Amino acid sequence: MSWWPGFSTASYAWLFLLLIPLIIFYFLKLKRPRLDVASLALWQQVISDQRVNSPFQKFKRNLLLLLQVIILSLLALAAMQPFLQGEEQQLKDLPILIDCSASMGAVDEESGKSRLDLVKEQVREVIEDMLPGQRITLIAVNSTARRLTEFTDNQPVLLSALDEIEVTDVPSRLEDGLQVAQALTRTFTVEKVLLYSDGNLPTRPDPSGQRIATVDFDLSYQLEFRQVPRAGRNMGITALNARRAAVDRWDVFVRVEAGEASSSSGEVKLTADGLPLGEPEPVALEAGESQRLVFSVDASRPAFLEATLSADGHDALSSDNSAYLQLPIGRELLVYCPPELATYRHMLRGLEGVILEPDDEGQADLSRYDLVFSDNRDDLNTESTTYVFVGVVPEDLESLVTVEFGESEVVDWKRDAPLLQHVQLKQVVITDLPQRADGVEDGDFEELGYEFLVFGSQGPLMLRKRDGPRLYYYLLFHTDRSTLPYRVGFPIMVQNAVNIALQQASLSELKPVTTGVLPERELEPETTYRVTGPRGLSAGYATGEDGILDGVGAPYVGRYELRDREGLIERFGVSLMNQTETSLYSVDEIQFRELSVAAEEDRLSSDKPLWPTLAALAFIVLLLEWWYFQKKPAGMLAAERIKSVRPGERHVP
Amino acid sequence: MPVSQFTTLLPNDVLARVERMRLNPIRRQTNRMRGEHLSSKGGTSIEFADYRDYVAGDDIRYVDWNIFSRLNHPYLKLFAHEEEMHVVILLDASQSMLFEEKFDLARQAAAALGVMGLMNVERVSVYSCASLQSEPVIMPPVTGRASLQRFLKFLEGLAGGGAFPVEQAIEEVLKRHRGRGVAIVLSDFLTLGDLTRGFNLLHNAGLEIYGLQILGPSEIDPELTGDLRFIDSETQQTLDVSSVGELLGIYHEHRLALEAHLSAECRKRSGRFLSVSSDEPIKSLLFDRLLRKGWVR
Repeated sequence: MSWWPGFSTASYAWLFLLLIPLIIFYFLKLKRPRLDVASLALWQQVISDQRVNSPFQKFKRNLLLLLQVIILSLLALAAMQPFLQGEEQQLKDLPILIDCSASMGAVDEESGKSRLDLVKEQVREVIEDMLPGQRITLIAVNSTARRLTEFTDNQPVLLSALDEIEVTDVPSRLEDGLQVAQALTRTFTVEKVLLYSDGNLPTRPDPSGQRIATVDFDLSYQLEFRQVPRAGRNMGITALNARRAAVDRWDVFVRVEAGEASSSSGEVKLTADGLPLGEPEPVALEAGESQRLVFSVDASRPAFLEATLSADGHDALSSDNSAYLQLPIGRELLVYCPPELATYRHMLRGLEGVILEPDDEGQADLSRYDLVFSDNRDDLNTESTTYVFVGVVPEDLESLVTVEFGESEVVDWKRDAPLLQHVQLKQVVITDLPQRADGVEDGDFEELGYEFLVFGSQGPLMLRKRDGPRLYYYLLFHTDRSTLPYRVGFPIMVQNAVNIALQQASLSELKPVTTGVLPERELEPETTYRVTGPRGLSAGYATGEDGILDGVGAPYVGRYELRDREGLIERFGVSLMNQTETSLYSVDEIQFRELSVAAEEDRLSSDKPLWPTLAALAFIVLLLEWWYFQKKPAGMLAAERIKSVRPGERHVP
Repeated sequence: MPVSQFTTLLPNDVLARVERMRLNPIRRQTNRMRGEHLSSKGGTSIEFADYRDYVAGDDIRYVDWNIFSRLNHPYLKLFAHEEEMHVVILLDASQSMLFEEKFDLARQAAAALGVMGLMNVERVSVYSCASLQSEPVIMPPVTGRASLQRFLKFLEGLAGGGAFPVEQAIEEVLKRHRGRGVAIVLSDFLTLGDLTRGFNLLHNAGLEIYGLQILGPSEIDPELTGDLRFIDSETQQTLDVSSVGELLGIYHEHRLALEAHLSAECRKRSGRFLSVSSDEPIKSLLFDRLLRKGWVR
């Protein structure tokens, strides 16, 4: 901070010229009251006293003039609107990013204030200290970014927008906020961006084991990270999963984790449609520890699970104390595999919990399946959620790739793809030769939504495409014309396909719906639906021609309901389920691509306007002047002591 | 029927009481002329003083023959010598004394002390110094009850005004006065000059100094504030003083210092000094303070 003040309206310096008439009039109008005295003998001795002629006494002689000069100078200075120049003095347009993710809702045990409350206090101070010509825009950041105001110097508007910011139960994701600020730098004079956050950001360990927060972003402006202190003790549910134990049984896992600050204890209660499932499970955790609880739930009927954590004592974050999970009815997996794919049928028959059609008599009664194996493109019309086509080129790729007769070689494959996990494709002999058309690049496939899973020497051998809730796998070569069925990886691949189908049909592992957006649903096309949620949330959404309802916001933990005109369609339980937010772990440094930004230890003070202080000083000096010239003479204090000495009696000082 | 006042200066009861009082000088500075004041030297008055042995050459008329007849040894009988004492009253009648009835109290005190002198057959003279441009108004030495009326009329007729510094007034008086005794100086002593010389002259002239300083209430306890322009009543000089209230403490210190200085100067010359306020009643001054201080008896 510079101690040399700046002036917003320096042109008002001409007011200092008023000092000239003030001084002239003072001396012109200075008319002392005349007082006849018997003799000046004593008073001349008083005046000639050395003490009276001290500089301070001389200064007092024109005290009235001095006070008037001070008052006028203070008023002139106040009119010039001086301010103490902080580092933000040159900041004309100042974007302020305010983290309002779930961890910002953590409250202090003593003060009862949330992190966001502390941030609001600091931002309020910045807004109130705005200088003329300075503009601020507020940007709320959680998992997305939302610009609350335009660049404005209207303090009521800014303060109103600030008051409206609420904590949302979603994880932090800074990138969106930073991108919004970056977009502003292109059209406004933005030199610095303020980020207010508790530092609770997704972290990863660095080579030394230290957890660092990395943000995949190129900073093109100066970011000032103003960190609020983290809250205290917290414990929350970070996972609520269900795994298929048997066709009629679910294993439900609840993970409870303690924050980084201190140990915690409490109990977890699990209910199904409001009915408790067994006794509450006690949990006692040291700082940073977690505990997994297992519950067994009947899968013969659908159930809406709710896990509730009750912590002993203070718990900083309430949004992670509840978790929800919708369990469907447990059933077998319905698989369609035509008789022509004998090798696949052979594998599928050996798997438990799988109903395979057509049966051995060629009968297929079901109209909907969970998994379709086929070598015929017409089976796209068979309703299912997962498809594995063998030796089929998708219709939209016919112009990009052709399959010739010839030997193909597997160059590489994505080993982490769910379908290819633990599948070894090296040295598999393939006699179909998918060939990429001339001039076709990988990007051309990706533009159509396809992802390469297996790379051949002249073109893709396996592709994956997700289309809404449906998942498609295309093997561009026919396995019957390869040595793959004879490899140990083949049954593994079929098993992987079944697992994927179980996952797709929500029959294998169930994960909770987390805050952010609700999962998309396929509904009636071009129909309006209403979604209601916690905290009075209610909004209407319309489906498009494809009947897909997506992008439904779910910013808070709780129960959501999807309704149409006829009534309830589906119920969702939305949970936070974020280990980072629950841990309340905070970093004081954010690592960007090329640089890191540390939290400011010493908060840079904003420009401090001085005119209210100066005006108040002028008023105080005015009062002082009035008091000084109205009060009982100060000299009387000494005189009172001497007054008691009668004339002729001895005075002992 | 109201009793008529003998003088406007003193009530009758005060006058009656004063007539029975006498001045009580520390040193008996008297004149050679016979009077009623006992001289410090031996004399030939009718008042017996002591005996002593007869030595050759003594006047045998003073031998106490009754003692000689009884003791058969000549003793000389000694008598006290009574001489006349001058009472010089110097009345400061300058303009400054007209403030706050200082001059009135001065005339009353002069009347009372003068009456004491007259009633004890001393030679009382009055010098009133008002203006440098005019001669002092003088009442030549008078004595005895017969001069009482004249003395009081003189005081009643005195007027003040002018600028006659008290130290110069003392010198003027001594130019005209001859005789030892008491010099009663009634003034406010607010002068820029040096009073030491005047006091020395009085002392050397055989006059015991009775200094009575009379100050007005506003001079003893001024209640002033702000910026003021003081105007000297005698010289019309002006003095600008700022923040008078802040200086009152220093003013009091100077006033008390002046009082202490005058008192010390008088004491050094076997004199007396007293500072009084002009609002002090004459009865209180005469019968309380002057009596207690031993000025009169």
